[in-house]
Amino acid sequence: MTAAQATRTPKIALVGNPNSGKSTLFNLLTGMRQKTGNFPGVTVDIKTGHFRLPGGKEVELTDLPGAYSLYPTSADERIVTSVFSNPSDPNYPDAVVYVADVTHLEKHLLLLTQLLDLRLPLLLALNMADAAETIGLKVNSAKLSEKLGIPVVLLSSRTGENVSKLLTEIEKLLEESENKHKDFYHLNEQERSVAEAIRMNAGVDNPYRALLLAHHYSWLPALAAPTRQTISAIVSNKQFSSLKHQVDETLERYDHFTPIVQAAVQPPPRFPSTATDRIDAVLTHRWLGPVIFALIMLLVFQAIYDWSSIPMDFIESAFAWLSDTLRAFLPEHWATRLLTDGIVTGLSGILVFVPQIAILFFLITLLEEVGYMARVVFMFDRFMRRFGMGGRSIVSLISGGACAVPAIMSSRTIGNWKERLITILVTPFITCSARIPVYVILIGLVVPAQKVLGIFSLQSLTFAGMYALGVFAALSSGYILKKIMRTRELSYLALELPVYRMPHWRNLWLTVWEKVSAFVWEAGRIILIISVLLWALASFGPGDSFQQAEVQARAEATAQQLSPEETESLVAAYQLEASYAGRIGKAFEPLIRPLGYDWKIGIALFTSFAAREVFAGTLAVLYQLGNAEADITDAAENETKATLRQRMEAEKFTDSGKPVYTLATALSLLVFYALAMQCASTLAVVRRETGSWKWPLLQFTFMTLLAYAGAWVVYNLFI
Amino acid sequence: MFRRYRTVESLKARECARALRIEDPFLASRLTAMGLLPGTLIEMIRRAPFGHTYYIKADGIRLALRKEEAQSILVDA
Repeated sequence: MTAAQATRTPKIALVGNPNSGKSTLFNLLTGMRQKTGNFPGVTVDIKTGHFRLPGGKEVELTDLPGAYSLYPTSADERIVTSVFSNPSDPNYPDAVVYVADVTHLEKHLLLLTQLLDLRLPLLLALNMADAAETIGLKVNSAKLSEKLGIPVVLLSSRTGENVSKLLTEIEKLLEESENKHKDFYHLNEQERSVAEAIRMNAGVDNPYRALLLAHHYSWLPALAAPTRQTISAIVSNKQFSSLKHQVDETLERYDHFTPIVQAAVQPPPRFPSTATDRIDAVLTHRWLGPVIFALIMLLVFQAIYDWSSIPMDFIESAFAWLSDTLRAFLPEHWATRLLTDGIVTGLSGILVFVPQIAILFFLITLLEEVGYMARVVFMFDRFMRRFGMGGRSIVSLISGGACAVPAIMSSRTIGNWKERLITILVTPFITCSARIPVYVILIGLVVPAQKVLGIFSLQSLTFAGMYALGVFAALSSGYILKKIMRTRELSYLALELPVYRMPHWRNLWLTVWEKVSAFVWEAGRIILIISVLLWALASFGPGDSFQQAEVQARAEATAQQLSPEETESLVAAYQLEASYAGRIGKAFEPLIRPLGYDWKIGIALFTSFAAREVFAGTLAVLYQLGNAEADITDAAENETKATLRQRMEAEKFTDSGKPVYTLATALSLLVFYALAMQCASTLAVVRRETGSWKWPLLQFTFMTLLAYAGAWVVYNLFI
Repeated sequence: MFRRYRTVESLKARECARALRIEDPFLASRLTAMGLLPGTLIEMIRRAPFGHTYYIKADGIRLALRKEEAQSILVDA
């Protein structure tokens, strides 16, 4: 160890194949002391955490994405390659803990041998010792250690067996000054000449690292342009064919390490794993498989949509109480209203999503942990590919039926960037729970409560139609995006279906915790800013127009001999009309008139930009229903709902005197709400997940234009 | 003189064969890294509900392959 290394926290990287139990080991070692950061340039997360060695030294642990080889075929694997091909990468470790599944050791050592040739201090953690014991597999760690020339620890990240031994070995590894292991793979003649030329011209010391540059120079992010050109010239001059050499090298490595594995591992007397085969015979069955999946998704939907309502109602009423209490104790001032109507309401709007996000991620991580998700990908890959997505996208789309926010966050499991982006872009079309209150009022208003064919109510059929419209819009946009988006990334499936395992609870809780806190801190900030902004627009007007509105409203109330409550609601309505939000509504009127809307609907559209459910509340204020926060869906507020409906039915255009809420207007509004991106939280999450404002802005523009066109067509069809 | 090889895609359910080589170089790189090598014993398990996707076992590991991927693996059966 050099002097510079001794003074800072040593970095250890966890590397291994997918399904090696790497993340379980990471969670075991770091517990809550971990954070997720974006890898620069790509939106794949790298987790880092800290833990202490037995001697008291603190080390930093990085959980690199699972990879099979340094010849990457996905964005995840590229991260591993770019870290190890560049010793000055911030994630380049001082030592590597290589995690391998001991029950499939002959398939898990390829990447290990590649890292050996990069001369990194390295130890092999043979994971799943407990599973090996159950199936009767025996392994001679000492022999493996001797043959590979590195320390080997047989452990179990599930039971914690031998983890203390791993810590001792890591401590010893960090003290080692040089690596005793010899080269595993011997470069062939052409590879040697290419690597030699790159070593001379690009300042790379290790021959295998030089060879990696010859393979990957075209995309490695850290390479400077001149170096890239130098390597490019060498590669074309020497007629180096990357793919052929990759395969040859891989096969030769297997030829080298397969005998080592065979000498050290005594396979079980009988080949086990029949449980997974029996389960898969049912779960991936041609007909039963999709049916079982539909049932599981129904359960997930029920959990997010129904069970979460208890904590959500609690959060909402707690914040309503807080707001009322603050209002009662603080002086009447705009700052008080900023606190109660802007900040507290905004916070409530963030935290109210937490139960849904927590439940969704708990269930999705559970399905992932037991190994079911890979089967979903297998079953639905073909279907979803028609729409530019992959098997994993179906989980996001179905979750979108509850709320697009957690659904978009769950798209991380999609490996292909184009498929993931399309999934993120189309998920908000799926009818989420926030659209339901809007649908309830509008359908109740214009669709007659009659039966079709004797059993189906026309209103529920319209409701079902709105869901179908959402699915149709999502899939057809996916189809269009698939046609227009270009990608350099090759699409492939070749997915490993892991053995079914019992879930590991620590992993589950840590994932839920991580997703919830990411949402609250990152998306929450933006939601809070937008809700304060909207509050300000609805609470202030230019000049003294706000005071004038109040004076005018009070004069009219006196003239009409209204009760104090009615007076207050008349004042609120006049003030909203005079506010900036009201002015924006009026300014919008010419634009939305072709869709059949008046300026009041304009205000509702504008205020419900932040969240669709605000639509009902805004209309309640505009139609002077007293309680501005009238919750239209609540059964206890049925009276309010009936009143709101009467007021809406009576509403007439000021110029023509025709009723505003006709069948055509209501259907047009329904279509608008089904297609428009009216959710600040979703936009904030899309920004977070895609790493730029480009995609949420494009998505917002596209969805709004589509909603406008759709609403216009429907209005003109029914008028 | 030119014998037409069968591919994994043509295997019937429960039929086994040994992999000979992988035609597509990109897939060859991916599949060999995952442990599907020339000589690996492959068993076809089943097709996916919507077709075009195959569930196979290769030396005890379970893999899901797209049709193009299964067509690219030549077998000796």
